[in-house]
Amino acid sequence: MKPPSEDHDLIRWLDGEMNDTELAAFEARLKDDPVLAKEADDLRALSAGIRDHLPAEMKVPHADFFNSQIQVRIAQMDLDEIRQKQTGATSLADSFLAWMRKPWFATAGAVALAVLGLVWMRPHTQDTAHSLILSSYTPGLGVEASTYHDNEADATVLMLDGLEEVPADRKISGISVHRSETEPEIAATTLFDAAGSPLLVISRDAVGHPLFLTNTPRG
Amino acid sequence: MPSSASTDPGEVSDIDLVKRSQAGDTRAFDTLVTKYRGRIYAMTYHLIQNETEAWDLAQEAFIKAWRALPNFKQDAAFYTWLYRIAHNVTYDWLRKKKVQGDGEFDDERTEHRVAAGAEATPKGDATPDTAMRNAELGQRIQEAIARLSPEHRQVIILREVEGLAYEEIAALVPCSLGTVMSRLFYARKKLQEQLKDVYETTL
Repeated sequence: MKPPSEDHDLIRWLDGEMNDTELAAFEARLKDDPVLAKEADDLRALSAGIRDHLPAEMKVPHADFFNSQIQVRIAQMDLDEIRQKQTGATSLADSFLAWMRKPWFATAGAVALAVLGLVWMRPHTQDTAHSLILSSYTPGLGVEASTYHDNEADATVLMLDGLEEVPADRKISGISVHRSETEPEIAATTLFDAAGSPLLVISRDAVGHPLFLTNTPRG
Repeated sequence: MPSSASTDPGEVSDIDLVKRSQAGDTRAFDTLVTKYRGRIYAMTYHLIQNETEAWDLAQEAFIKAWRALPNFKQDAAFYTWLYRIAHNVTYDWLRKKKVQGDGEFDDERTEHRVAAGAEATPKGDATPDTAMRNAELGQRIQEAIARLSPEHRQVIILREVEGLAYEEIAALVPCSLGTVMSRLFYARKKLQEQLKDVYETTL
């Protein structure tokens, strides 16, 4: 193998990194040195082959899913950030949605969130007199969910059958959803509270199952 | 350094999209993702030669870009900045995975990808089906590049695929100009060795 400087000359010539003076000198060498000329030709053919067969741009598999996952992760990061801020705040924030941290109430919480989310994922025909429930989803097989709209309370009532008995003295609070924003491009809906803070992001995972990113403390 | 993709007349510029993204507009960022995902994915794929991991790493690059957007001063093209992030994400992954050493001739990693008809095709042979021969050649080149060490593969991709100048490669890797030249030289020699039946002429 030749000294490194000669190797460098060869690849600098190949890559067009020589100035005019260097180029003239090297091309003169190529004329006088058939071995060097052969090596230069071979390397140039190799470079051309690589460029021809390695595209600078490729089709991304499942491109739409690629994009939507990025959006979901961004939403999750935003929620995590808010969550971190809230955990450092007063216990008021902790008491808000505290019921969701109760182990026995996890199923109910998931169901409630699912139904609330689906209520807000309804088409944008704002009809405050009725709630439109498109479908409901319960993670627990033994739990059945049903809903109806209570005109007097102007609220959607969620009925859960199959849950363990809830102690009578248990205080239950819910989510007060003020408004929602739906992103059709990424099939995600974000629910906001009265202060404009996101409460919940609803989307679907790769196999179409509901995906909830909640603004609740972990644990 | 790679520049932004050519834009159609009427298309929103990267600068506008970046400004909107910096203001929290995720839809604007989604447009940037759509615009550059093919190039970023190609880069990660060429470097690690694994479709699934390349997909994940490309996505990770965009996530990191989103997080770093507030610090992007637009003193470079967005794609150049994004490319640097993607490169660092991929190379960090390679380092962690320790797919290195002298990875060349590491058949375990690439054997399953060898096409049945990928035997040497001597240059000048009159193959009736040019397209087939071309596809086989492409396969062989990809396999040869997969056998390079990450350091050698990296400089070859940056130079031959991305068209970066030596100084840009040195800044990105980072390493000295001499190291760039040495790695390029030895990477090409190793590729030449593996593909000598294709790219070696006789005197």
